[in-house]
Amino acid sequence: MSRTLQKAALATLVLTLAAYVALAAGTQIYDPKTRKWVDYDKNTARKYFARNKQVPDAFRRQVVTFRTAEEPGTIIIDGNQHFLYLVQPGGQAIRYGIGVGREGFGWAGIVRVGRTAEWPTWTPPAEMVARDPNAAKWAAGQPGGPDNPLGARALYLYAGDADTIYRIHGTPESWTIGLDVSSGCIRMNNDDIIDLHSRIKVGAKVIVLMQGAALYKGV
Amino acid sequence: MSIFLKSQPLPALLLCSIAALAACQSAPPPDQMSRTAVETAPADLQLLCADAAAKQAGLERAKVLPTGSRPVEAGGFSVDLDASGRKFACVIDRTGVVKSVQAA
Repeated sequence: MSRTLQKAALATLVLTLAAYVALAAGTQIYDPKTRKWVDYDKNTARKYFARNKQVPDAFRRQVVTFRTAEEPGTIIIDGNQHFLYLVQPGGQAIRYGIGVGREGFGWAGIVRVGRTAEWPTWTPPAEMVARDPNAAKWAAGQPGGPDNPLGARALYLYAGDADTIYRIHGTPESWTIGLDVSSGCIRMNNDDIIDLHSRIKVGAKVIVLMQGAALYKGV
Repeated sequence: MSIFLKSQPLPALLLCSIAALAACQSAPPPDQMSRTAVETAPADLQLLCADAAAKQAGLERAKVLPTGSRPVEAGGFSVDLDASGRKFACVIDRTGVVKSVQAA
């Protein structure tokens, strides 16, 4: 390979990596106290939650305008912006803050709620058991409860009749809402997942949008 | 201030104007208090594009997925769509009016 081609290939690789990093990171929140936009990463999120006992305004449950042809009851997940929308009648949606898959674990697709559970047992998938010692000790299943990673409720996502192994679930780590932290599941704080669970029906359509997704399901 | 205005009227007026503007600047509403370094189209606009592409190509809406989006110079967004391997490009304005849908 000539030196020029090598340089071009290297430049392309650098640009691709830069674009990927830019996509993976870069959330900012507006701090009403300082009137400034601040980077929102794990450190900021942990400190914000410790100080305020809740997530930033943008990630709190709220009714927003939502122009769509989708039926009320449809769940729409915007993984890039860290929002989950539940479509309501009259051009509105309930918007919740979410945590999503970290780098390399983001996915997109059109799936459905196959089943739901209250205070679900968490059984880590074999891949997670293999790579994560904390998951390995619960290989046979962790009973539901306040320390369970699935939190208070879980909505199990299916593509057709097949379990995708992805869930929308609660979390005991509310401070992680707004971050890219999971292994591909969509996490919400427990109050929000209880609220969402009370409003949806099994079979509800779930559209997952994620620019730069590593995987596609149901399409 | 009056001395400053008499001696340097133009810069003083400029400073006063900037101060007035800053005082009028308000915080964004709670639903707009987060943003990302890479701007993507709002989810509802992406799905309006998916709906328009499905109608135009005679496809089932459940098979058309937005896979990427970005702002365009003319205002609004360009949205990439995938319909079981068929690619489309849609342009939509910020009010939700679809400007064009084309096979990509």
